Amino acid sequence: MRIWIVALNTFRESVRDKVLYVLLLFALTAVLGSKAIGWISIGQDIKIVKDFTLASMSVFGALIAIFVGTSLLYKEIDKRTLYTILSQPMRRWEFVLGKYLGLGLLLGLVVLVMALVSGLYLLVLGGKPDAAYFLAALLIYWKLLLVTSFAVLLSSMASPILGAIVVFALYVFGHATGVFLDLPAQFDGTFSKTLLEGLYYAFPNLGNFDIRAEAANGVPINPSYVLFALAYGTLYSAAVLIAAVWAFENKDV
Amino acid sequence: MHAIATRGLTKVYKNLTKGNKRSLDELSIHIREGEVFGFLGHNGAGKTTTIKILCGLVRQSAGEASLFGIDVRDPASRAKLGYLPEQPYFYEYLTPRETIEFYGRLRGRTPQQRAEDWERLSLLLDLRDIAEQRIKGFSKGMRQRIGFAVALVGDPPLLILDEPMSGLDPVGRRSIRQLILRCRDEGKTLFFSSHVLGDVEQICDRVSILSRGKLVREGRIGQLLGEEPHGVEVVATGLNEVSRAPIAAAAREHRTHEGQDVFVFDEAAAAQEAARAILDSGAALESVTPLKQSLEEFFMKEHGATAAGAGA
Ligand SMILES: Nc1ncnc2c1ncn2[C@@H]1O[C@H](COP(=O)(O)OP(=O)(O)O)[C@@H](O)[C@H]1O
Ligand SMILES: [Mg+2]
Repeated sequence: MRIWIVALNTFRESVRDKVLYVLLLFALTAVLGSKAIGWISIGQDIKIVKDFTLASMSVFGALIAIFVGTSLLYKEIDKRTLYTILSQPMRRWEFVLGKYLGLGLLLGLVVLVMALVSGLYLLVLGGKPDAAYFLAALLIYWKLLLVTSFAVLLSSMASPILGAIVVFALYVFGHATGVFLDLPAQFDGTFSKTLLEGLYYAFPNLGNFDIRAEAANGVPINPSYVLFALAYGTLYSAAVLIAAVWAFENKDV
Repeated sequence: MHAIATRGLTKVYKNLTKGNKRSLDELSIHIREGEVFGFLGHNGAGKTTTIKILCGLVRQSAGEASLFGIDVRDPASRAKLGYLPEQPYFYEYLTPRETIEFYGRLRGRTPQQRAEDWERLSLLLDLRDIAEQRIKGFSKGMRQRIGFAVALVGDPPLLILDEPMSGLDPVGRRSIRQLILRCRDEGKTLFFSSHVLGDVEQICDRVSILSRGKLVREGRIGQLLGEEPHGVEVVATGLNEVSRAPIAAAAREHRTHEGQDVFVFDEAAAAQEAARAILDSGAALESVTPLKQSLEEFFMKEHGATAAGAGA
């Protein structure tokens, strides 16, 4: 399976890249350091630690997705390593999907390590890392996969710097798509209103993956909501990846 | 069936800022199985563009190309292809052994076959001493060896090599030349580009010459050189003024050198006539020699002609 061969090799590249360990170290420091914030709000330790560790999974995961993802295809074109790969009897979409999957594997590992470490930490603190906590981590992972698909799309068209800026903006606005609807009443019926409403529905709504507050406060989570969020992420990522494959398919390299 | 066939192959690179560039113009070539084919041309002639189309890296703007009868747009056409890029780049974080392994997997080789590939290629290209070092920091020559090994993974019957000898020292060039001959002896088809003629002259069955994206010549080397004789040189001693003048007038070139008269004629017939005139005048005829044109001269002339044509 050629997709899998490319994916494993992409994963191996990141593992051999020392920058990753620095990031992971930062992330784990953040997880353990969350207790410090807990002290400030007495009696709220566990809740704050949960909230904070989930937030750092999201942020550090996104940093990896953006910085590794936006150079994923670009670097192969720029360093011409794909000459000898695309000249194999393989299809280009296999290469694109393989690169995506490789980074997906890496992010999976990062989220898993962070979830396990923070879960253990919660136990030590006397808290209970329950199903809701791990479901929240799963949705964060799904969100990171969506962010990665955008990064891959950008990396087939733009330099990593431009790509990182665009995907970062997407990440920020994706968490605040509500702003597109928050228009004063005088805009009712205007074209801008319709346009912004259209944007609201077309823009990736990363808020859909956010069940952090529920997980931190021990509010039960509706399984069908989780399924909805997973399906939303899967379909959206698939659409973006199809665009990435399409952009890459006829490119002269 | 031809190992490589192109018909009217054309590539126009589209560029919004610099305008469009017609890098390849209606190229039609046919390379038979088992042939060693030299693809010649100066820098910018369109050699790499052609090779990239054949290897699936660049999509042609018009025309057709196929490998063993399969259209190059179909990835299946690359099943029998080994390709060495102009400057081969590999993942720097891998070792040569891992690199060969990776390409073996991509080609669908079984573990057994991959082990055999490594045994064979590491020996052939002398990779054993560096087997476990990361490619990062390797010299040009070492990378070229790895590139050759990668092209030979799976023992493909067709090798396309883009300037395999450029940038190498004489020892490196010689070993690449030996590799090419060895592959030829195994019955492989070799298609390689070069702007250095010496190597091509010695090892190719046929060559084609590309200039500014257009095919200007194609054929056996001897035939190409024979097509346009460079002239015939006639050398005489003891010619007097009276007989020298008409001979010099008929010659393309006349010079005196250490008491000898050297004439160069375009036509063999004119040279014969001059030889007779020299003998008739009582002078000594030293030699009559057809001037053999080197490929280098031929190449320069062809390039000059098209360059002038394009400039006019
Ligand atoms: N990606 C590209 N975009 C625009 N022009 C290109 C591109 N690649 C090559 N060219 C141009 O096409 C011509 C042929 O280039 P190339 O095929 O590399 O020649 P060669 O390999 O014979 O030196 C050159 O003038 C080169 O500048
Ligand atoms: Mg070239």
